[in-house]
Amino acid sequence: MTARTMGTPVTQEMIRRALEGRKVNIINPLVALLLLISLLASLAILVVLLWDVVAKSMPVWQERGWSVITNDLSPRPAETGMIQGIFGSVMLTVIVVVLSFPLGVAAAIYLEEYARDTRLTRLLVANIRNLAGVPSIVYGLLGLSVFVKLILEGMVGQVSGRTLIAGGLTLSMLVLSIMVITTQEALRAVPLAIREASFGVGATPWQTIRHHVLPVASPAIFTGSVLTLARAFGESAPLLLAGAVLSTFFAAPEGTPITDLVLGEKYTALPIIIYNWSRQPQQEYVALTAAAIVALLVILLVVNAGTILARDALERRNRM
Amino acid sequence: MSIRLESGPVVVGRAVSTGAASPSPASPETAPVIFDIKGLNVYYRDFHAVADTDLDIHRNEITALIGPSGCGKSTVLRCFNRMNDLIDGARVEGRVLYHGIDLYGPAVDAVEVRRRIGMVFQKPNPFPKSVYENIVFGPKVAGWKGNLDDLVEESLRRAALWDEVKDKLDGSALDLSGGQQQRLCIARAIATSPDVVLMDEPCSALDPIATYRIESLMRELKEQYTIVVVTHNMQQAARVSDRTAFFSVDVGEEGQRTGRLVEYDATDQVFTAPSLKETEDYITGRFG
Amino acid sequence: MTTDQRPEFHAALNSLEETTMDMADRVEKMVGMAVRSLVTSDNSLVTEVISSDDKVDELYMDIRSRWMQIMARQQPMGRDLRMMAAILELNNTLERMGDQAVNIARIARATAGLPREETILAKLVEMGDLVKPMIRTSIDCFVRRDADECLLLPAMDVPVDVLNRGMWKHVVECGHDQPLLEWATRMVLVSRALERVGDQAVDIGEQVAFLMTGDHHEFTRYTG
Repeated sequence: MTARTMGTPVTQEMIRRALEGRKVNIINPLVALLLLISLLASLAILVVLLWDVVAKSMPVWQERGWSVITNDLSPRPAETGMIQGIFGSVMLTVIVVVLSFPLGVAAAIYLEEYARDTRLTRLLVANIRNLAGVPSIVYGLLGLSVFVKLILEGMVGQVSGRTLIAGGLTLSMLVLSIMVITTQEALRAVPLAIREASFGVGATPWQTIRHHVLPVASPAIFTGSVLTLARAFGESAPLLLAGAVLSTFFAAPEGTPITDLVLGEKYTALPIIIYNWSRQPQQEYVALTAAAIVALLVILLVVNAGTILARDALERRNRM
Repeated sequence: MSIRLESGPVVVGRAVSTGAASPSPASPETAPVIFDIKGLNVYYRDFHAVADTDLDIHRNEITALIGPSGCGKSTVLRCFNRMNDLIDGARVEGRVLYHGIDLYGPAVDAVEVRRRIGMVFQKPNPFPKSVYENIVFGPKVAGWKGNLDDLVEESLRRAALWDEVKDKLDGSALDLSGGQQQRLCIARAIATSPDVVLMDEPCSALDPIATYRIESLMRELKEQYTIVVVTHNMQQAARVSDRTAFFSVDVGEEGQRTGRLVEYDATDQVFTAPSLKETEDYITGRFG
Repeated sequence: MTTDQRPEFHAALNSLEETTMDMADRVEKMVGMAVRSLVTSDNSLVTEVISSDDKVDELYMDIRSRWMQIMARQQPMGRDLRMMAAILELNNTLERMGDQAVNIARIARATAGLPREETILAKLVEMGDLVKPMIRTSIDCFVRRDADECLLLPAMDVPVDVLNRGMWKHVVECGHDQPLLEWATRMVLVSRALERVGDQAVDIGEQVAFLMTGDHHEFTRYTG
């Protein structure tokens, strides 16, 4: 209109020029290139890291085979193995799952679905978020003073409170806040419309959560939880404090019942073994450390892949 | 402690046969009152959403709530089945009498209220489950004992959806079209045998054909239920309702927006010769 | 396959059309009775025309109010909108036709005792016989949605106009006789009324054409 009132008729050519824009656009491809480089850089770091440990560990796998995995710890590098560490790590993870998963999910459900939005609730939520940011070594100190010293040695009266259960409790505390937060996010992502629909037909809050909110949120809760557990699995600092033994000489006698292993005996974990082996002066331990790292990575990789598959299956079911 | 509200024998009384000729209200004088609202004020924390509203909803009629955005019409609707309870900081003052019982009375259980007063929402929101499960969930949680298959068929037939979905009852509700999903939501709402069906802009996400289907469904349903519908679409209110309540919004000095009921009358009256200039300005597009 | 998504609206529209047709039937009869009352000086016919007109007025008001409701509530479009426009026009036209019939009947009553001139009376009866089929044709076209046959209406109107224009000549011939002149002068008004009814039948035909084609245009009138 303005063009016409100014006396210059709008020609098709003018419109074409306006629509086709500048011929050379340098910014967009440049940004895309930079982003690609960042991605490749992080991938490269990962590949170099993996390549390094795999290559370093090769001699051990070739000489020892599975015995590196299946042997007990031993002072002799040629005979030592990491099965106790794997067992300890798996048991710790089981304890963490049993304790922190129900507790974390329940706490998140309460905060998201039941708690009124009061100042107290907001304070609680803020605290949980802060807890998630506390360094893990602090949890180790907590585990040492509360679980090991106060409860197991003080109240239960064990000679040494440095048991699997103490470590498990410590790790549970560490991941609980993260578990609450990821579950909260998962619940928050469930559309309000689904809740309204359920309340609208006369469902109670629990029926709504049980039948509609949790099924929809479960893939996200599941994925978040497993990633959280993976973190617990690889954690070493709190365990150093909360009692995992460093000693390469330790081995529980053959045939010790599992309850005793959890509640009474000393224990170690895979990250602790890595930590410990990496500090040994002998040349053999370089390859052994790498092998333990490979074992840890493989376990995590398998668990993560399993999680993705399981989540997809859950989501397919949810699509219904 | 909760009481079950007895809905009592429902007398389906179309007081007056309006005939095909005129879609006029089913006798504004005689239709019994189901909701009697007096001095309703709704607050969200410090925000005064609805002020001093009196409203009667009559049985087996369609009552439309219209008005500009922010006029509180949806808020008022959500007082009818205590949906506002779900919003933190929502506070309702005044009386919302349902068959003479105050829905906000201390002994009244909101869950029981919602079993009698069903709701259909703006966006079709079927559960991400099968068509069948969508229908049976409400009756199941209400402890319904009976043949679920029959209930599903009956509800879907009433919602004019049976023929379209009878072969895919086990298929996902999300695979239906938008209009079918909304009719499924209506079927879901009536599966619990409610007394009243509240509809919050039920057609705003639908195309005109689906809209007409829902509207003609509403006219069929009012034989059995009482319907209150919130709509942005004045023409829809005009087409479908027996009575129309026009809400407007007052903007305070600090920009607070408070809704209030301006005029409430038979739809014929409101759309041809409203008694207030404010209503007339709105329906003729002279506002803002 | 088309399914009617707005059955209530279309039922209301059909019902409105039926009422309009009912009104048309009454008006057609009224015109016939009015012309007959001129010939027979039968006061009961006059009374019947007037009471029929009360009914027609009632239908007129009823159609208007229902028309308003449908407009306000149903937002008709396309063919439905043209039908609404045509109905409003027909409603007005038919109501005025009814008024013309009442005018004729009143004149019949007022002139009952006066002497009559048979030539004039015969011409008026002839006009009546020409006009009544015009009303019938226009209404039938409307009911049948026949946009072709209604094109005949202007031609049917020609003899009515011719007779109306010829009427003065006959009245002037009555100039010698005072009471006869009084009667004849009134008959001019009757002639004029019948001529108007003929025009109004043509108007209805125009509405049929509009309904079917969507084009507003006046039929070409033969000016003779």
